[in-house]
Amino acid sequence: MIVTLLKRLYIVLLLVAFQVLVLNHMQLFGYGTPLIYVVLLLYMPMGSMKAGVLLWGFCTGLLVDIFTNTPGVASGAMTFAALIQQPLLKVMAPRDAAEDITPNMANMGKWNYVRYMMIIYLIHHLVYFTLECFSLYHIADAALLMVASWVSSMLLALLLESFRKKK
Amino acid sequence: MRELLDRITQNVHWVVFLLLEVLSGFMLFRFNHYQGSVWFTQANMVSGKVLEWEAKGFQYMNLGKENAYLTRQNILLQNNLNVLRHELAELKKDTSVTQQYQTDLLKNTEMIPAQVISNSIRQRDNLITINVGSNDGVEPEMGVVSGTGVVGIVSKVTPHYALVLSVLNSRSSISCRLRGTEYFGYMKWNGGNPLQVSMDDVPRHAKPKIGDIVETNGFSSLFPAGIFLGRVAQIHNSEDGLAYSLEIQMGTDIAHVQNVYVLKHHMKEELDSLKRE
Repeated sequence: MIVTLLKRLYIVLLLVAFQVLVLNHMQLFGYGTPLIYVVLLLYMPMGSMKAGVLLWGFCTGLLVDIFTNTPGVASGAMTFAALIQQPLLKVMAPRDAAEDITPNMANMGKWNYVRYMMIIYLIHHLVYFTLECFSLYHIADAALLMVASWVSSMLLALLLESFRKKK
Repeated sequence: MRELLDRITQNVHWVVFLLLEVLSGFMLFRFNHYQGSVWFTQANMVSGKVLEWEAKGFQYMNLGKENAYLTRQNILLQNNLNVLRHELAELKKDTSVTQQYQTDLLKNTEMIPAQVISNSIRQRDNLITINVGSNDGVEPEMGVVSGTGVVGIVSKVTPHYALVLSVLNSRSSISCRLRGTEYFGYMKWNGGNPLQVSMDDVPRHAKPKIGDIVETNGFSSLFPAGIFLGRVAQIHNSEDGLAYSLEIQMGTDIAHVQNVYVLKHHMKEELDSLKRE
């Protein structure tokens, strides 16, 4: 229990550091900044306590918020995505899978896993950019920003996935 | 009873969800509110330190560029100095008055040197974090300039850091004028290109030309008059066709700014109290 907790905490800190120190300086296609910390939610095994997933999501978001001057934006979006994660995983996981599978390509099937990833990312990004652009009058700009960030985030998450498999 | 308890434990995540979303929403609105909590931003102690280390690392990589900027600025200033000296020599009889005016202007402005430790240009509302705070005498509502022009306005301070509302922020508007005329307007950023801002409501008889210099006009107590903002790049008609809307090429590339000065204005309180009356 404590080991998983510490491991997860380590992953959170790693993801946030990577996001803040590296990715926030990046703008792929001149627009989208990849948001990597969302993958934390992807890795939550089936049957995790829902309230726990929510809290992890919120705290990760809050950390990112503090470092990017966007209080409430990432934390709100992460909480929202965290709410969807467990039910979504239940639907997307193969029928014959174990009760507590860890979501990854081997366990869920490649295409299934990518779809699962896409949906969680989409939900996160929808909420994130809606909140960020609350006062924005350039809706089209915001949509473009969102799609670009969505695409680049997905690519990066898939890249990360290949590293994860090796381990 | 047991069933009820089970129900509650099964659905506790909804309560947690609502709670967390409300908390996020609260932070969001509090921050966007004028005087929000500064502790959930980059200006708090821990994130400030981390970002400061990072900025120090990157500074070395950008030293070349920074030097080029400074050199360019130096040349510009030397040129200006030469021109001014020339003019001064011609206007010998006014020397005492001019000199007095200049020293007066500088006497009222004390500058606090600072370094940018975090910066953004990609968002709609961009903020800059600098490594001086209330301990160094920085207060909200002070102007921030770099060697190449205006950078922004201090919005929130902690003991060691300050959050600056960059020029590239939808909430920032700086009162400015065309150099050599008294026609003023407000400089605003409309998103997109970080080197392009606009100045609206310039009357048609001001006859702006492409290449004209735009500078601060000193109406607000934030900046003394005459600080460089940029040059007119394009002239458009305003929507009602009664005035011009100028597109301005910024003098400062906010994306690369590193060394800045916070302007302390001794007369500020006096000016503000006057305005209140």
